[in-house]
Amino acid sequence: MRLLTHNMLSSNIKGVTNGFPLRIEVEKVVEKPVDFNADFLKNMFAKIEWKALVDASRILGYAELPDEAEPSMLDSDDFLKKFHHALLELHLEEGALVCPETDRRFPVTKGIPNMLLHEDEDINNSAAFLNADTV
Amino acid sequence: MVFNGARTRRCLNELGGLIFPAVVLNCVHHPRIFSTMNEIKADGASILCTPVSDVDSHVQQSASVRLDHGCSSSSVQSTPEIEKKYVHHVYDAIAPHFSSTRFAKWPKVATFLNSLPSGSLVLDAGCGNGKYLGLNPNCFFIGCDISAPLINICADRGDEVLVADAVNLPYRTGYGDAAISIAVLHHLSTENRRKKAIDELVRVVKKGGHVLITVWAVEQEDRSLVNKWTPLTQKYLEEWVAPSSLRIRSPSSVTLESIPEAEENGLGEHLKDCNEISSTMKLQENMHLASQSNDHSGAFINGKNIENQQEFFVPWHLPYHRAEVSGASACALANGLAKKDDKKGAVVYNRYYHVFSDGELERLASGMDNAVVVDRFYDKSNWCIILKKTL
Repeated sequence: MRLLTHNMLSSNIKGVTNGFPLRIEVEKVVEKPVDFNADFLKNMFAKIEWKALVDASRILGYAELPDEAEPSMLDSDDFLKKFHHALLELHLEEGALVCPETDRRFPVTKGIPNMLLHEDEDINNSAAFLNADTV
Repeated sequence: MVFNGARTRRCLNELGGLIFPAVVLNCVHHPRIFSTMNEIKADGASILCTPVSDVDSHVQQSASVRLDHGCSSSSVQSTPEIEKKYVHHVYDAIAPHFSSTRFAKWPKVATFLNSLPSGSLVLDAGCGNGKYLGLNPNCFFIGCDISAPLINICADRGDEVLVADAVNLPYRTGYGDAAISIAVLHHLSTENRRKKAIDELVRVVKKGGHVLITVWAVEQEDRSLVNKWTPLTQKYLEEWVAPSSLRIRSPSSVTLESIPEAEENGLGEHLKDCNEISSTMKLQENMHLASQSNDHSGAFINGKNIENQQEFFVPWHLPYHRAEVSGASACALANGLAKKDDKKGAVVYNRYYHVFSDGELERLASGMDNAVVVDRFYDKSNWCIILKKTL
């Protein structure tokens, strides 16, 4: 799982008000090179929750990102490369993502998060939802 | 520089001109380490088996299956039984074989993806074997699917993927630039769930972002295909999922005619998808059961209610040499969810489909207050729609 993905993931457990960001439990981190694409980085910069990215990258062992960032920094190659590295090249291979409100662990195995909810956690799990069927 | 997303990803050949959903070009044989199924005993005993899976799946044994058509129920489920049994478990069991037949890129999907601005983040909900992940090398793709075995196949290729439910995406609102849902919604068994899945696709893209949805159509270009599907009725569902009652009601000797199988290893030839060819006995079996049911809905003509029928089982033939001895297929056979076909040397699974009628997809999407329909079309037996998020 890349930090790009982590920055998008949110706990969707029923009743949770703010499930982002998920806390990270690290067991294994892997680095894999990715081709550089400045367009993509600039596009993503606007979407990224910066603090969550910085915190997550540090947990994965990378401390090069500045605490705060502004769009003007995208002109700097050095900044772009660090942003690129943190966003795309660090992988959580084994570990877990933890809901900030419920402490529910979503396992990450072979780099794949499993975000499936149990029945009692799923907002779609309600008689009202299932019975509101107009077919 | 071309942005691949990961150097480890292999590039799939673009065949173009596909065929969706039934005909497959070039069934390529992928050697797997599965044993042949020689000694599987399908005695119909109800065994609680958990398919081999990385996912902590909750398998519930149930004697009958209901489509949730407004039935009040004291036992509430997040995923309806029919989807667990006839979608999730099937894809989990057939994942590698299924993946090997799903490689040709549908041109309309490719056009949509290639039209996206460079640097876009594309979310594929229900990505299956990841066929479209990375199709546009200038975009970054994140795929999710409810089937862990299929997601593993994507991950092996270096794709960024996760296991998730399309009806409840674990994504922050508005993060993606575009989203696609290719041949997914027809596996959802209630209108509410289908509607929710569309809501989710729109939710996860940014304002101004586009969503492409494709689903199987009632109106199939190849009408003879529909004859090979098994239409579902409430009564039939109950009989199907209770193997003992099925044996009582069905003809004692249900012999399947052997239909010459297309050569699976043929390269460079255009072949019919061998998994969509079902025995004509299937139709007769259905007729027999239908004639015995007391309250089948709608008129049956030649064994099926053609006009209003949108609920089907579509068979998948998993060759013995592709099926695991001690895994999902053994469980499925033991539970009566799959059958052996010795003449074809395959385990026969059924996949649940709600095929869409003309205008249905648009109707589902038209009531949204944060998206508009910007294109709708029919192509190769699929209804397709493109939405744009407005708020």
